[in-house]
Amino acid sequence: MADSAAPSAPRPRLGVIKLASCDGCQLTLLSLEDELLALASAVDIVHFPEASSRVAPEGPFDVLLIEGSVSTQEQRAFVAELRTQARTVVALGACATTGGLQALRNWADAGAFAGVVYADASILDSLPTATPLSEHIRVDVELHGCPVSKPQLLELLTALLTGRRPELEDESVCVECKRHGTVCVLVARGEPCLGAVTRAGCGALCPRYLRACFGCFGPREQPNVTSLAGVLERGGASTARLVTSLRKMTGWAPAFRTASDALAAAPSSGAAREQEKGGSR
Amino acid sequence: MRAFGAERLGELFRLLQARGAPVVGPTFREREGAITFDVLESVDALPRGLSDEQAPGHYRVVERGDTRFFGARPGPGSFRAWTLPAEERLYRAERRPDGKVGFAAIPPEREPSFLGLRACDLAALRIEERVLTGGTHPDPRYESRRSRRFVVGAQCTEAGALCFCTSMGTGPALTADSGADLVLTELADRFLVEAHTDEGRALLAQLPTEPASEADLRAAESGVAAARATMEARRPLDAAEMAALPERLFAALEHPHWDAIAARCLACGSCTAVCPTCFCEHRVEESDLEGRHSTRTRLADSCFTEKHGSLHGATVRPTRRDRYRQWLEHKFSTWHVQFGSSGCTGCGRCVAWCPVGIDVLEELRALTHEPAPSDAPQPAPTDLRPAPQLPPPSARHASHAKSAEPTPCSSAEARTAAEVPLVGEVMSVARETADVVTLRVRAPGLAACAPGQFNMLSLPALGECAISVAGVERERGLVEHSIRAVGATTRALTALRAGQELGVRGPFGRGWDLNQTARQRVFLIAGGIGLAPLRSAARELLTRGADRGELTVLYGARTPADVLYPEELRAWAAEPGVRVGLTVDRADQRWSGDVGVVTRLLRRETLDRDACFLLCGPEVMMRACIDVLKGAGVPDDQIQLSVERHMKCGEGHCGRCQFGPWLTCQDGPVFSLGEVRDLLGRRGL
Repeated sequence: MADSAAPSAPRPRLGVIKLASCDGCQLTLLSLEDELLALASAVDIVHFPEASSRVAPEGPFDVLLIEGSVSTQEQRAFVAELRTQARTVVALGACATTGGLQALRNWADAGAFAGVVYADASILDSLPTATPLSEHIRVDVELHGCPVSKPQLLELLTALLTGRRPELEDESVCVECKRHGTVCVLVARGEPCLGAVTRAGCGALCPRYLRACFGCFGPREQPNVTSLAGVLERGGASTARLVTSLRKMTGWAPAFRTASDALAAAPSSGAAREQEKGGSR
Repeated sequence: MRAFGAERLGELFRLLQARGAPVVGPTFREREGAITFDVLESVDALPRGLSDEQAPGHYRVVERGDTRFFGARPGPGSFRAWTLPAEERLYRAERRPDGKVGFAAIPPEREPSFLGLRACDLAALRIEERVLTGGTHPDPRYESRRSRRFVVGAQCTEAGALCFCTSMGTGPALTADSGADLVLTELADRFLVEAHTDEGRALLAQLPTEPASEADLRAAESGVAAARATMEARRPLDAAEMAALPERLFAALEHPHWDAIAARCLACGSCTAVCPTCFCEHRVEESDLEGRHSTRTRLADSCFTEKHGSLHGATVRPTRRDRYRQWLEHKFSTWHVQFGSSGCTGCGRCVAWCPVGIDVLEELRALTHEPAPSDAPQPAPTDLRPAPQLPPPSARHASHAKSAEPTPCSSAEARTAAEVPLVGEVMSVARETADVVTLRVRAPGLAACAPGQFNMLSLPALGECAISVAGVERERGLVEHSIRAVGATTRALTALRAGQELGVRGPFGRGWDLNQTARQRVFLIAGGIGLAPLRSAARELLTRGADRGELTVLYGARTPADVLYPEELRAWAAEPGVRVGLTVDRADQRWSGDVGVVTRLLRRETLDRDACFLLCGPEVMMRACIDVLKGAGVPDDQIQLSVERHMKCGEGHCGRCQFGPWLTCQDGPVFSLGEVRDLLGRRGL
């Protein structure tokens, strides 16, 4: 790419790596249409499999965006190696920050699934759990969301390039929702919305389309999941439904995990019975 | 009083539109299922024949069975979305590769006309006006919008299920001083109308009306009386309890009931987002990838966010208990000290839109009454000191008048300068220690700073932070700031070179009261970077020559290498009547002086009870010094200390620097000990 900025110093080297994930967060980077050209001239994109055919990472990296959860032995060794090559490691998206949807297997017997899906499960190298990057290496910045939000990704990259602290929302979705002037879907429509315990950053996308937030940015700080679950139950949501809503894209995040475990373990809870039937641990 | 048939409301609407601004009023958003405020194209957009069913945490739109236009109660939105928009760009900034900077204000948008505001919302508008324009730094954007404000009020003839305006003394009647230009009272098929301002009279003169009949007047009166009676019949706190509420609630800072509320509260911030008087704001910097062009934007904030209480990377209000307590104490108690009234108008929005249905009045009742006897173990009180006293509203203004006055912005230019940075030029840079640099900045208009005040220093694309004044040369228009590199902005500021520029806003806050100290013996007690604001005080005192008493400077630094201004300290010590004591936490091989905390130096001094003590440093160090001073019998009003809170705006508008009843950026950062004694070290303030 032509280097119109003509800097004397070398441009920062940016890498994008994928582990167990759907590529959606990497696509968010590609879909920064208006800014992509400026970004490509501000940084040296040295590794980006979603956008090029090169596969082996060529460090060192000034900034390394890692998408996906750690789900195989190979990935565990890979991220440890990547850490040594990168100055700033960014966990990109719900899989990398919480384990992602595939962390549902952490409540189940992954080996049993493999037996059903694959004729010969011995070709697999899967770990019994899918876990966030921070359980394996030091992570400098976590960018939440399934997928990550374009404005947040851009803010993060801009902040890293200009040397300021990125301004990433950590308040509830409610704060963001109300800034947009959106009417609360829980109070006005009885939707089982998780916005009050979920981290903002998505632009309150679901409530703006009259849907309940399902927590894809993960728990916010100081989440009171117990109190919200009580209200949703009184509003007609079954315990089983609540457990399922908490165990989605970010279900393995500690606050959602402990809350859903507590709900599932509650005596007479439908979820607990369902869990037993499913033969989970 | 005049009257007109309901079919004429369209004519009134067109007259409103003819004023040139859009008309905002209640409308039914069918998709979302709520009646809320929006821009109206015609009277057909009003929620005719509709009302709402409200309960704690519950809201539904229902049919009224009649054809009233204004039959709904306050919904989730309010005028605030236009008077104080949730997101507003303040100014653009540029930083060129040669280090020069520029700032350009972004003009505010014109405010719409409002149709159908209730008494509670008009009361909220009056509160908002006091908050944003009644302090030392009136908000120029708000003032510009307000200058052409036009409001048509709608008097309430029914009370909603959650309304409690009579408890707050704000309604339901719309009196002539409500601030409304026109007041409508809707009857079955007619409106009564009265103009309360010249603009209102001018508009009304264009509308064909007839004199109101006796029957009209009686109907209106009995409607308002019925609304009042409904609310009075169910009020949980009587008039005497409401009158005593500010003091009693402040005295309940350590009440065990806060924990019960925290178990329910989601800290989601919904109450603060729907409250028409909440004003707290966050400010963010957005830039291009090069960091050359940026925009400063204010965002509606909530005291339920972690960032609202942020201080040095931590938060002063970590728990939901702390945050709920901050919101309720502010709204019903400390607001009186800050702005001379309650912050609540009784609209009931926070009750309806709380997802878990927390009812503020029920909580206020529980907090101001003895807890019910219970066998259950009570949480241990977090602070065993007696409850602090709520200062009277006049205390703020009296304390301002007493000392280095926060510079009031008189001219429109000065007001804009408080909000949009001026360009300051770095004249020289002195490296003090490994991580502290002193910038000498020329910024015309800022040299009026007094010792102990602070300025907001900024760099485009990087951010802004509050830095205290370390020295002033008034006649040359120079101000000095000593900055420790701790975050991105301070790192960039400490990397500036002579000839480069930065943004400067200020001066802000109340500085040291040095008038008190004429001929008195003065102790300056500093820890770490806290020497910077005391340095400007020392310089000021030293210029007084024979007019000053003895001066003792006691200073504690981390290590010998962290000692600030070593040469200046030596020069002071050489002056007659000046003593300088120095101690470090950790010595090195060459250090032969004292080792230990600064209180060790203080304990060695003869502490005159009529001496004056100025303290600045980490709060824990100041509290230790205060213990020593109180042990020696020094009265509170001879001890001043500079308190640290997160000052995001400096103008008293962002709400982040609150410390109990005080706004640190205006009432402080320098406080007399009596003002903050019972607040210091209290968890969660």
